[in-house]
Formats: sequence, structure tokens, C-alpha cells
Amino acid sequence: MNCPRLKDWLDERYDWVGMKKLAKSKLIPEHRYDLWYYTGGITLFLFILQFITGMLMALYYVPHIDFAHKSIIEIVTKLNMGWFFRSLHHWGAQLCIAFLFIHLFGTLLLKSYRKPREFVWVTGFVLLGISIFFGLSGYLLLWDERAFAATRVATGGAGAFPVIGWFIKAFLRGSMDVTGDTLLRFYAFHVAILPIITLGLVGLHLILVQYHGMSVPLSLEKEKLREAPFFPNVFYKDLMIWLVVTGVLVTLTVLMPPEIGVKADPLAPPPENIKPEWYFLFLLQTLKLFPGEILGLNGETIAILLVACAILFFFLIPFFDRKSARGEKSPLYTWIGVIYLLYFLTMTVVGFLS
Amino acid sequence: MRRIGIAGDFSKGFLLFCYKSFIFAVSFFLTNTATSWAADKIAKIEVFPPTPYEGYIIYESLAIFWLFIISLIVIIRMKLREIERIQELGVENEDPDAPVLR
Repeated sequence: MNCPRLKDWLDERYDWVGMKKLAKSKLIPEHRYDLWYYTGGITLFLFILQFITGMLMALYYVPHIDFAHKSIIEIVTKLNMGWFFRSLHHWGAQLCIAFLFIHLFGTLLLKSYRKPREFVWVTGFVLLGISIFFGLSGYLLLWDERAFAATRVATGGAGAFPVIGWFIKAFLRGSMDVTGDTLLRFYAFHVAILPIITLGLVGLHLILVQYHGMSVPLSLEKEKLREAPFFPNVFYKDLMIWLVVTGVLVTLTVLMPPEIGVKADPLAPPPENIKPEWYFLFLLQTLKLFPGEILGLNGETIAILLVACAILFFFLIPFFDRKSARGEKSPLYTWIGVIYLLYFLTMTVVGFLS
Repeated sequence: MRRIGIAGDFSKGFLLFCYKSFIFAVSFFLTNTATSWAADKIAKIEVFPPTPYEGYIIYESLAIFWLFIISLIVIIRMKLREIERIQELGVENEDPDAPVLR
């Protein structure tokens, strides 16, 4: 397609040629681990899909305890393709969090967090935390008995955190128990507060990645690697991967649309064998490992404190790993990464099967 | 005595019939209400279009969608190979002195 008048019009106003040169000047190293670079692009693509499908759902969703459940049933049963977009939003969220974890562990094991990219890691880690909170807040919006019980357990667990637990619990719930206030609060988080923070952080993450360039694994740093221009070479590869991810997402959407349970009743007993979303299972299993009381102290409080310390250590790894920062190999942190990964996978599988 | 006996049998049968009818009616009422209460609770909400025709159209569309994705991937792959071939030849760099044809 050749539009000389449009090109002239743009050239008069913007440095079109300069921008094209800039896009072509960005080079991506090619090596045997470069597949990991694409996990970030996939996550970004899924984030964009989540924003689009979320906006469509927000047109019909009613954030009120009397109508929330009904409005979702109407979206699914009465609207044209409503079932499809709700299922797409559900599976998009699952895949997005799965790819965030893959991206995180890839970055950890390849030591891409090392100096000078510590803040790339920090922004990415915070984005993972926000995405998990996206999942938690979105789960309650369904307002069925499982979502209600899961939110009660999750916010109750946050309440067991020492000193500030009561504040976190009250802040999340908006009242003593999970009520209509909680639903409204979670809705505000899900559609307004978290998206704004996410946009800012994704922007910052991308700017930092552009600023520092792509990280090369320590083992390959001294080798002379081939480099490919981001545009069009890597962009076309990104496109192909996004197409495959779209295919997988749509297949899951069509073959396994998520169920809608019975409307939540705050006075009813919680349903049997209730489980949270898969990315909370490792946390639930960890809590189950601890007895009710340890040395006269509340076992749950100790468990939550230990988990919080482990997550904090994970978050601060780039600042502890001094060897990687100096460009030396640091097998200790590779093993720590492997242990974290194995623990997460094992506990998630055990939680899923139990 | 015989007449009384017949009358007694009749009344016994009638009473039994009434009793059975009552039990049946009550149990029928209770069962129906119980099922409908349970039905309210257990009723599965259709999260996928229920008619076989709609299901067929959706699965068919999914297959066509995959064909479309595979075709697009093949086209992009071909385009990428062509770009890489030109890049290897080193002829993609624009000559700044070349005359522009319009």
C-alpha cells in the first residue's frame, strides 16, 4: 500500500523517517535462550486482551449484591456472544497470570535482573502482585457462593498478618465481613484503581526495557552474538506467537467456558471442598502445613509471616545477588530460584489434587 | 351380619383408598416442592449456547479460526524469510542519493 499524500502529510508534521530509523535501530540478540524474550510480549498481549474484554463486560455488569450475579447470568445467557467474551476474559486472566509466572521464573533463572536492570525486576514483580489482586477482585464480582467463600478466606488470611493485618482486612472488606461494600470496593479496584496502576507500571517497565536493552545470559555474555532488528524481524516472530496464543485462548474459551455457581448467601455454610484460584493453591497448602499453635503463638500468623518473608526475599533478590551484579556466575541464586519454582509447582499440584 | 361385613369391607377399602390418596398427594406435593427447591439451588446455568445447531456453528467457526491462524502464520513466515534473505544480501539499505520516482 503506497499513499504518497498521506506520507507527505505525516512527514510535514512528524519525523516519520527518523521514527522508522529508530524502530529499525533497536537490535535483539539471537541465542539459544531467546525464546524467553517472547514471554514478556505474550503477557503484554494478554493484558491488552484483558482490557478489551473487561471493557465489554463492564458495559453490562451491575456491581450490587442483588444484581451482580443476575447481571452475569444475563451476560452469558441473553447477550449475543456474551458467554464467549466472559469465557475469554476468564481464560485470558488464567493465561496472563501463568505467563507472568513463566516470565518471572525465566528472568530469575537467566539472572536478567542483575545490575543495571534491578528496577525492571521490581516493576515486573509489582505487576505480578497487581495481576494476582486483579484475579482476586475479579473472582468476587461473580458473587456466587464459591467466590464469596474464597474471598472470605483470602481476606481473613490477610487479617492474620501481625500488627497491620486488621487494617488490611478492614481495608479490603470495607466492613466486618464480606458484604455489598466489599463487592463495590473490589469492583472499584478491578475496573479503575488497578488498571490505572497497571498502565503506569507497564509503561515504566517497557521504558526501562528499552533503556537498558535486552539482557543476555551470563554464560553467553562473552560470546559474539548475532543481532536481529526488532522491526520487522522480531516483531513478525512476536506476531506469530501471539496468533498461536490467541488460538489456544479461543479454544479454551469455547471448550471450557467457566461455570456460574449459586448466588452467594452470607448466612449459608461454605460449600464443601472449596479451593481458591490455582495461583493461590501454594499459599493455601503452605498454611495447611502449620499446626494451629506453635509455642503459644497462632500458627496461621507464623505461617503468613514466613510466607511474607519468603516473598520479600524473592522480591529483593537482585539486591542480594552481588556476584551476578559483578558479572560472575552465582549458582547459589540459581538453586534458590529452582527451589522456589519446585516448591510453587509441587504445592500447586498437591493443592489441586487434594 | 353379612351385609354389615360387606359394608365394613367397603368402608375399610374406602378408608384405605382415602389414606393412600392422602399419603400420595402429600408425598407428591412434598417431593415436587422439594425437587423444585433443590432445582433452584442445583439448576445449572447454561454457560454455552444449548442447542446442537449453535454448538455445531461454534465448533465449525473454531476450526475455521484455526485454519485462518495457520494460514496467517505461513504468510508471515514466508514474508520473514524474504526479509531475512534481503538482509543477508545487504541490499535493503536505502541509497540517500537515489532519485525519487512519483
